[in-house]
Amino acid sequence: MKRKLLSVVLCAGLVVSVMAGCGSKSGGDSEAASDMDYVKEKGTLVVGITNFEPMDYKDENGEWIGFDADLAKEFADSLGVEAEFVEIDWDNKILELEGQTVDCIWNGMTLTPEVTSAMECTDSYLANAQVVVVPADVADQYQDEESLADLNFAAEAGSAGEAELEARELNVTPVTAQADALMEVAAGTSDAAVIDLLMAAAMIGEGTSYADLTYTVSLNSEEYGVGFRKGSDLTAELNDFFAKAYEDGTIQELAEKYGVHDMLVK
Amino acid sequence: MEFSEQLPIVVQALNQGFLQTLKLFFVTLLGAIPLGLIISFGSMSRFRPLSYLTKIVVWIIRGTPLMIQLLIIYFMPGLMGNNIWGGGESGRFLAASVAFVFNYACYFSEIYRGGIQGVPKGQEEAGLVLGMTKSQIFFKITLLQMIKRIVPPMSNEIITLVKDTSLARIIALQEVIWAGQSFMKGNQGIAGVIWPLFFTAVYYLIFNGILTVLLGRLEKKLEYFR
Repeated sequence: MKRKLLSVVLCAGLVVSVMAGCGSKSGGDSEAASDMDYVKEKGTLVVGITNFEPMDYKDENGEWIGFDADLAKEFADSLGVEAEFVEIDWDNKILELEGQTVDCIWNGMTLTPEVTSAMECTDSYLANAQVVVVPADVADQYQDEESLADLNFAAEAGSAGEAELEARELNVTPVTAQADALMEVAAGTSDAAVIDLLMAAAMIGEGTSYADLTYTVSLNSEEYGVGFRKGSDLTAELNDFFAKAYEDGTIQELAEKYGVHDMLVK
Repeated sequence: MEFSEQLPIVVQALNQGFLQTLKLFFVTLLGAIPLGLIISFGSMSRFRPLSYLTKIVVWIIRGTPLMIQLLIIYFMPGLMGNNIWGGGESGRFLAASVAFVFNYACYFSEIYRGGIQGVPKGQEEAGLVLGMTKSQIFFKITLLQMIKRIVPPMSNEIITLVKDTSLARIIALQEVIWAGQSFMKGNQGIAGVIWPLFFTAVYYLIFNGILTVLLGRLEKKLEYFR
């Protein structure tokens, strides 16, 4: 009898503690009228990023800086809230957004059909390209698209680079990150990788583990945008902010500072 | 950047990441060891509904990948309209802790059950003859003999746990492998560098070496109960 009582008490204790754990932090349960109100009410704009120089990266003091990070801070200022940067797993960006664990994805994100159908995206604010990365010693053989036919490519799963390769019916192995695609080429497990220009410029060549890699053909040109939750009114607000920032030169200044001025759309 | 310049930056970042790994490891152990005992009582209960319910829960937790459990626990509340974890890194750690504690408690509970049921029935009967109560029999006779029996299988789970913590990177908990990978993409001026990722294995290896020695000592101490 005693034991039965004990088990019932323990069971009840378990249920209560689990519920207490769940109930203790239910700050966001008030149904805010709009996404902007929701963000203003909690006082922070949580920006989902990856460590991605020169868009979002840490300075010596551990502070997030970069072209995107600086712009995001200015935008948060204009809303009267604090920008909070959170590193996310890029594969889960839509989950993070819909699960309200972040408020926007602002990290040199290419506006692919997948992205624009799952998020409320802003107009493009930078232009980028997907480039082919090959070992430098064979680079002169792969200077045009026709020469790529027999290569085995590695590209980030779900990336714009993978889509470009599939559209051309080239052999592609999906890997988890752009960095992994480069490792494939360095290790010889793939002949070539497709990553974006911005990354290629930062990650290969002199002073990296990829000193003997180089990039050749551009497969496309593409646009960067910022993604909010479906139906969010913050998208229009940020479009206005971009327009103003272009007019008063804020964007040009930041682009100069972070070396992305060639990629400006206006 | 020269290797000698990279080394201190990388080691510092990996140390920071491994601190997260250790935090998750100890929180999981502290939570799962007692919770596992409670679950094992549940599954051994003579009160049928309770034992069936517990067994179903254990089946679900042991029958699905921990990675899926992490994703469900972290994202599901927010997807249903109320993010209980908050956005920051502390929320990710809390969610990961809950998933790990629950998952490991279910594995531990089955090890405990085997340990408790492995103590010969004669021991309990001897206690009854001596006029001991059920709880006296459990705490003074069964428990210590059970602990001796479960040390080898528990050591196995504990060593696996050290490495399983790396699964938490799926919800972007910045543990040591995350820290190692960050130098491939670019972190603190080091980009496109591979070796830190492989170097993380050294951390696991050293820590598991220490654990193996400690658990071996514990096993020796408990030889007494042969």
